[in-house]
Amino acid sequence: MQTVSIDVGDDGTLSAVLRGELDFTQAARIVAAMEAAIDDCRPDSVRVDLAEVTFLDSSGIGALVRAMKAADQVNASFVVERPTLVVFDQLNTAGLVDVFGLRRA
Amino acid sequence: MIPETDSGYLQRLAELEARVDQARLSPEILSERAAGLLAGRIGCRIDEAHAHLRLLAGQQNTSVASVAATVIGALEIRRSTSLRQVRHSVEEALRATDQEPDQPVRVSAPDASYSWLDVVQQMLNALPGKHIVVVPVRGDDGRITDYECVAVSPGMRDLSGRTGPQLIGMAISTAYPDIVGGPVWRAWADSLTDGHPRSVEPFTYVHIDNGDASEHLLTVRVRPVGPGLLNSWVMHDEQTRLAERIDQTERLGNLGYGEWDLITDTTVWSDGLYRIYERDPADGPLPRAESEALGLPEDEPLRRQAAEEFGRGETIDLTTRALINGKVKHLRAVIDTVRDAEGRPRKVYGIIQDVTARETSRRKLAEVERQLHEHQQDLAAEHRLAAQLQHIVLPIPETPVDLPGLRAAVRYLPAEQASRIGGDWFHAALAGDGSVVLAVGDVAGHGVQAAATMAQLRHTMAALTMTTTSQPAELLAHLNRLLLALGVSTAPATAVIVRWEPATHACTWSQAGHPPPLHARAGVAVELPRPAGPLLGGLAHAEYGTNSLDLAAGDILLLYTDGLVEHRERTLSEGTAPVADLMSRVTAERRDYPLDVLLAGLQRANPDDDTCLLAVRRTDCGNGHD
Repeated sequence: MQTVSIDVGDDGTLSAVLRGELDFTQAARIVAAMEAAIDDCRPDSVRVDLAEVTFLDSSGIGALVRAMKAADQVNASFVVERPTLVVFDQLNTAGLVDVFGLRRA
Repeated sequence: MIPETDSGYLQRLAELEARVDQARLSPEILSERAAGLLAGRIGCRIDEAHAHLRLLAGQQNTSVASVAATVIGALEIRRSTSLRQVRHSVEEALRATDQEPDQPVRVSAPDASYSWLDVVQQMLNALPGKHIVVVPVRGDDGRITDYECVAVSPGMRDLSGRTGPQLIGMAISTAYPDIVGGPVWRAWADSLTDGHPRSVEPFTYVHIDNGDASEHLLTVRVRPVGPGLLNSWVMHDEQTRLAERIDQTERLGNLGYGEWDLITDTTVWSDGLYRIYERDPADGPLPRAESEALGLPEDEPLRRQAAEEFGRGETIDLTTRALINGKVKHLRAVIDTVRDAEGRPRKVYGIIQDVTARETSRRKLAEVERQLHEHQQDLAAEHRLAAQLQHIVLPIPETPVDLPGLRAAVRYLPAEQASRIGGDWFHAALAGDGSVVLAVGDVAGHGVQAAATMAQLRHTMAALTMTTTSQPAELLAHLNRLLLALGVSTAPATAVIVRWEPATHACTWSQAGHPPPLHARAGVAVELPRPAGPLLGGLAHAEYGTNSLDLAAGDILLLYTDGLVEHRERTLSEGTAPVADLMSRVTAERRDYPLDVLLAGLQRANPDDDTCLLAVRRTDCGNGHD
């Protein structure tokens, strides 16, 4: 199964689905895929689905931050959706719950 | 017969002779051997075999030695005669002698029909190819009415699928009705009349099998043998199929076949050899001197060794390189020689295989292995560099450090995997304003890049506390701007900073995306409630809140990076629990529990991540004792 799959809708929304363990070994690949897709498609908004992400370490958080910066560069909004409890915990610790558009559970 | 007067051949021979070291057999020894083989194979007496050899030599207008060499060549191939067969043959021969002491088997006696047929069949058994021996069937008036099959090659299978046992005894008019009255039929009659062999050039034979007719192109050679006729059949469509099979084999195996006849000085190349040498068959084989010139000079020692082997009469098997149309090809050559009775080479033939692809993949594999090795060395070098960098930037004090009103101990647990040396750092020092600033931080990622970012954060932090501010929230805002300024591709970082005022005992702290410190007092350890603060290097206008903390004498505060508590299968609070338990226990036990022992008791939760621990205790007096 791919760690990342990216779709671009007609409404200018780039939807990325991430899966598995987002750690040091996966971070660079995800960043590359997200940055390339955002640069190519210049979407209006970027949504990242984390429902199937089971673990996130500091590299994984770094990857999400870099994706957010890439979205900022093209003036696209950036939201993260459906994190598991563990992943929400991580994002909360990183202080990213608000900037990623996540409501506190 | 070798045309000894052909100076061209002699010259070619002389060229090779220097390298030839073949035992030369005398004609006498040759004919003895041949007669022995022949007698053993067909069960006649040695002197009869000698007589037969002489007869053959007379018929073929050649020397006895030459016939002997041919016989040896034909019979010695079949070496696998079992002992049982030998015994059987010996018994047969002995019995024949016992029964007919005065009438020994006469090899060429046409009237001894049983012996004649027996011998003919035995000869056919030993000969390659497809042969049928027929004898005429005569009517009352002596005229030939039909022919009968009397001996058939063992490998023979006719168009109807019949083999020897079925064909022997059959009338030709029954077995092959289309032959009757045709060119072969006429050739048979003519050969019987004048005793000369004939060849019936390719003719069309119509074969009818279960009502289905099929046409076949055949060539038949007819030779009178005793009272009968030996017919050698060549089916041309079979020859075509064989040629196709050879061609396919050559293509599949990148093979080619070449032949050099020293007597006629002609060279023959197969289609495959033209392909290997990328040469148009219309241009004919490449002259030998030219093809030898294609060899790379570096392979000269190999070729010299091969020439020596050739001289010893051995089959050569060597792989050398040739420059063909600007490309280096690796060619494997298996070269053998046909020699005459005196052992002189008459024909040299070679099977050439283009093994470039194999050689190339072997080289590529070696190259990949080399790169892999280099890559591994690079990784090891990077790890060493990262570790050195960390050691330079972040020397870990081996014993607890005393600061005004505080004692601090540091422990760094590197990641288990060498390549995962990360960007964890700590700070524990007096600030320019007399306060004590404590911090731990973590740069996302691993390796030299993370270590470099860590170095910048740590040095900036140390400089800021001396010159600009000791306030945790302000320090974090500066560090955030620093990381943003380093560029989009810089990995984000997290940090927690604690400020301790020795004079007022005021303690404040801020964090940037970092787990909160654990605070333990008299057996109770809790996670401090966090002020707001996103990680460093993520947001342009990040704001960092500040909380204050009541740090009493004997309290222990633990700052840590997430490798300590972060685990793939547990939530953060689950990861924190064992750490908090240990801190509760040691503070319940005694007020001066050694900090380094406490840190030694903490195990990191995530072996993939490095971990930095900073434990501080408020000492009762300025220079504090544990």
